[in-house]
Amino acid sequence: MALCPVCESKSPSFEALGVHFAEETKKSDVGHVMWLNRNVTKDKEAEPELPRLLEGFFDIDGIGLSRWIKTRFIERFFGKRPHPFVLALQHPTKPVLLGYVLEHQHFLKQWVRSLSWVLAKTDSPEATREELDNITTEFYGHGSDQPSHYELLLRMGESFGLKREDILATPPLPATARAIETWQSIGRTRHWVETMAAMHSLELIANRDVKRDGATLTYFDPRILEGGAVTNETRAFLWEGYEADVEHSEVPLEMVERFAGQLGIIEDVQFTFLRSMEAFDSYLMARLERGMQFDGGLAAFIGGGA
Amino acid sequence: MKPPTAGCALCGATWGDDWEEVDGSRLFFCCEVCAKQYRGIVGEAKRRKGWAAVDKVEMQGDFRGRVCTVRYGPETNKFLISFFEDGELRTFAELG
Ligand SMILES: [Zn+2]
Ligand SMILES: [Zn+2]
Repeated sequence: MALCPVCESKSPSFEALGVHFAEETKKSDVGHVMWLNRNVTKDKEAEPELPRLLEGFFDIDGIGLSRWIKTRFIERFFGKRPHPFVLALQHPTKPVLLGYVLEHQHFLKQWVRSLSWVLAKTDSPEATREELDNITTEFYGHGSDQPSHYELLLRMGESFGLKREDILATPPLPATARAIETWQSIGRTRHWVETMAAMHSLELIANRDVKRDGATLTYFDPRILEGGAVTNETRAFLWEGYEADVEHSEVPLEMVERFAGQLGIIEDVQFTFLRSMEAFDSYLMARLERGMQFDGGLAAFIGGGA
Repeated sequence: MKPPTAGCALCGATWGDDWEEVDGSRLFFCCEVCAKQYRGIVGEAKRRKGWAAVDKVEMQGDFRGRVCTVRYGPETNKFLISFFEDGELRTFAELG
């Protein structure tokens, strides 16, 4: 069985899914054309090859679901054309980090809501423990020695002279709000294993091991954590993610692979992961767009692609 | 109708079959959202400069943002522009 990544229609084979895409593109259907352009090819000449290309894109044989998610994620954010926000974060300036703070506070609030959908829907004690631990690290903290990631984010903003109340009072950019709606809708409407995949895959962004899996660069140049390149608060914030997100993404994705296999919902997990990844791509652009309000020169990171 | 070799006037794709008239030229687009974005680029260039028309649009970039150089007679307007997935304007920044 093959699931259309756009309209979720089921095809008995990739041969049939290729025919479905060919039919939809003849009608200039926006969703199907856009998906092929971004994920497979812009070239109509490749039409006879579509079944093979689609199978290649979705195939998890021999690698498993968790590794497939990692591969697709790395290709999108750390591949030939790295994401512009990742490029800007290599050696971040104050405007880049301000963009990070002002948008990410909203992401972290949604993070808790999304993992809470998992808690509300799961009957697995293992998943419950995982999500409780994650929410605590990200939002509540482990006592005064280990403030939450959310708290560290706000302190990073304060280290640049922003007042906490002003950060908290800044509404999200429309693009961030749209992405948040997507994640909220995933939590509300999809299986909890899909929600786990949708959210924990995003923690791969800060995973320092991505280079081992084919990434050309990491989230930021780790050398900025040494010396005085960034404020202490920035170092504390980035270091926390650097440390935590290896475990935070690997363990739950392994769980997703196991549960999805047992429940027979691998294709649904792939579908929802791709939807979440698209929202995340757009959300990362929103951080950069917020940064552009402080420094128009950040536009140089965008538009360099082909 | 067969798409031109350069493909969609916005993104270069050759999927689809959406021919639309923009400022007197018949152009090929892969989908209606690309057409809407192209109209948005021409429209923003004209509106912000008070031009009656545009002669030439050059673009670099992808769905995350495009650097456009738009010419009208001897004048040039260079900007960064991006759109939401439904073709609504997302960001616009004048470039020097
Ligand atoms: Zn479809
Ligand atoms: Zn197009």
